[in-house]
Amino acid sequence: MSSAENETPQADGAEEAAAGAEEAEEVEEAPVDEAREALVERFRSEMGEGVIEHHIEVGRDTWVRVENGSWRHAAEVAKGAMGMDYFDFLSAMDWMESPYGRSEDSSVDLALGRAEAAEVSDEIVTGYAGGDSRFQVFARLSNLVNHTSLTLKVDLPDLTVASWVEVFAGAAWHEREAWEMFGLNFEGHPSLRALYLPTDFEGHPLRKDFPLLARHVKPWPGIVDVEPMPGEDEPKEEATAEAGA
Amino acid sequence: MGLVESGKIPKPLTYLLNLSRRYSLWMYQWGLACCALEMASAMVSPRYDIMRLGVIPFPASPRQADLVCISGTVTDKMAPAVLRLWEQMPDPKYVISMGSCANCGGPYWDSYSVTKGVDQIIPVDVYVPGCPPRPEALLEGIVLLQEKIQNEDMATRWTGDPIVVS
Amino acid sequence: MAITERDQLNYIATQAADARVNVELETEGMTINIGPQHPATHGTLRIVARLDGEQVISADPVMGYMHRGYEKLTEVRSYPQVTTLINRIDWVGSFANEVPFILAAEQLMDIEAPERARYIRTVLFELSRIANIILFLGDMAVQLGAITPAFFAFRDREFVLNQIEAVTGGRFHPNFDRIGGLKDDLPAGWIKETKQAMDKVRTFCDQMDDLVVGNEIFLQRCVGIGVIPPSVALEYGLSGANLRSSGVDWDLRRDENIGLAYDEIDWKVWTHDDGDSFARYWVRLQETREAANIVDQLLDNIPGGPIMAKVPRIIKVPEGEAYVRTENPLGEMGYYIVSRGDTGPFRVKIRSASFSNMSITSWILRGVYVPDIITILASMYFILGDLDR
Repeated sequence: MSSAENETPQADGAEEAAAGAEEAEEVEEAPVDEAREALVERFRSEMGEGVIEHHIEVGRDTWVRVENGSWRHAAEVAKGAMGMDYFDFLSAMDWMESPYGRSEDSSVDLALGRAEAAEVSDEIVTGYAGGDSRFQVFARLSNLVNHTSLTLKVDLPDLTVASWVEVFAGAAWHEREAWEMFGLNFEGHPSLRALYLPTDFEGHPLRKDFPLLARHVKPWPGIVDVEPMPGEDEPKEEATAEAGA
Repeated sequence: MGLVESGKIPKPLTYLLNLSRRYSLWMYQWGLACCALEMASAMVSPRYDIMRLGVIPFPASPRQADLVCISGTVTDKMAPAVLRLWEQMPDPKYVISMGSCANCGGPYWDSYSVTKGVDQIIPVDVYVPGCPPRPEALLEGIVLLQEKIQNEDMATRWTGDPIVVS
Repeated sequence: MAITERDQLNYIATQAADARVNVELETEGMTINIGPQHPATHGTLRIVARLDGEQVISADPVMGYMHRGYEKLTEVRSYPQVTTLINRIDWVGSFANEVPFILAAEQLMDIEAPERARYIRTVLFELSRIANIILFLGDMAVQLGAITPAFFAFRDREFVLNQIEAVTGGRFHPNFDRIGGLKDDLPAGWIKETKQAMDKVRTFCDQMDDLVVGNEIFLQRCVGIGVIPPSVALEYGLSGANLRSSGVDWDLRRDENIGLAYDEIDWKVWTHDDGDSFARYWVRLQETREAANIVDQLLDNIPGGPIMAKVPRIIKVPEGEAYVRTENPLGEMGYYIVSRGDTGPFRVKIRSASFSNMSITSWILRGVYVPDIITILASMYFILGDLDR
């Protein structure tokens, strides 16, 4: 991509100090994954500002959260300067706790102590590399030459983010999917239209507050497999009685 | 067919007609999901060989078919197409619903996009349970359907009330 | 290399098609609707193609006829239940669907399956690859008008399915992989029978070599059709044989092997430089042979020991995020699991191979002729469940 090459030279220099300061905060307790630290360091310096936070699971994977405004730029940097030209996937995340719990409210589930899971907090807890908004878009890019991968995340406070289609043509379908499933808007996407669902479908199914109506009509029967064995049916009955009380 | 309209068909004639219908079922394959592969195994694989039951697979169009095997998950997006296909088939027509998904939604019973059973759209003659059913199960379904055809009184079928699915 | 020439030709043809559309006196464009139920679409995919004469100006796949909402359903199921469900994504190589999910869950739980379980997993993984790709090898020929390979494919596939069934109890959906190991050990005499089945697979591959690969009609319809240059393949996230047939030497079994036993045996990654339909067929054919060899080698080296690690009775996966991908029959399949320490996942993003592989459809079908649509779609090889999820 020519645009990526244009971006590269401006990225060095000025922001290095800031990047270094942020780096110091990240204290890895026991083992330090030097290769991945170096990868993040390189990404930060190529990006300039725009990187908010990162997270490294030692020996496993790397997460980087970028600012909403530099989402497009992040793709260009990763593809150009970092050589991550393999577009793995792009998707979105709704961090809200589902108001319906896990829809496991049958007597068996309650007996197993799953009632707590149904009590839902309004608090939005985000995952690795943090987050400020309910919705996040995340994408994964790989470098097939030196076998490094990066999971990029971005916050969507107003449900809008720049599209990646011009950087990775393959992002088109993934963004359509996220648009349909989460109701997120991708600026600059050539045709955001329904991918999976019939045109008269209402709602965004992967949002946590989208109810699975079948489960509301008929509660999940629970773990059918824990039917009592012939000799031992007493304890089981007690458990159900407790849950019912 | 004046005989049919009068509602009286001689027993031997019924027997003969049913026998011939029973062993020349043109089966349209409506392969939707996993079950389609088991259906294909039943049709194509020399081990199962559906043709020995007098079922002829792969008609060119549903307009030439007597029997359709709905094998797999019917989604809400697909449902109108399934109905349209069924409407194109000439009477008398039979439907085999193959696999849990087509029977009742199966593992996707709580999904937002899956039709919970193809019998909500079209009438089903034989349900073959399983996820997916083995080819042998489909063969048994076909045998059961053939028994049903053999015992059918064409007069009642053809002069009776039209089949309406709500 | 030949790619650039064909690329160039393709480009010129597309330009010509565009130019012709712009001339007002030219023939009227036509819209042709392939599917949703069409034998050439492997199920229920619909392709709306706008034609100029015999040439495709634009092709737009309409999918979702098999969308079953896996990602939402995983949120209301516990981990063992999810395994049952995701079996059915790529229904032809089912066992391979479970593996990356289980590996990702194991990674979050910090559990490692015992050595023997790892080997058996890999064997079953490769068996489902064979069961899957054999179907492709027969089916592709059917799309081009030869029905015999399909009979051969279904005949020889049964032998592989038998072996899978003998271990797992399921022909199609084994649901055999568990967090921490496997449900059961191998039955007695299985290793010998599997080796015999692998011999049958190799014979099948030889037959395909004779029947299909050397066939004049097949060559004419495949060579130089649907060329994907490597840069485009990477940009669209193609994976598996589709990527390798474009000359990109990338196989997750070798390059990012997590938790499977590929490192301990000697095998080869096959690539092809041409990137056309023939290359995709050829690479898959070689891969099937290679898979049979892998299975043979693994069976010779299966270590003894337990097949299940110590796992709590009620599985609760600790908080965290993990992404594990494996080289499935169709390509790269990965699960991005977000866990909140519950009995079920908070969110699972399913990265399926066919979805990315088919996102190139509009690009690759531009400018081709109508009969080539079938060849190209067949050679891309997608499974609708994997595409729509």
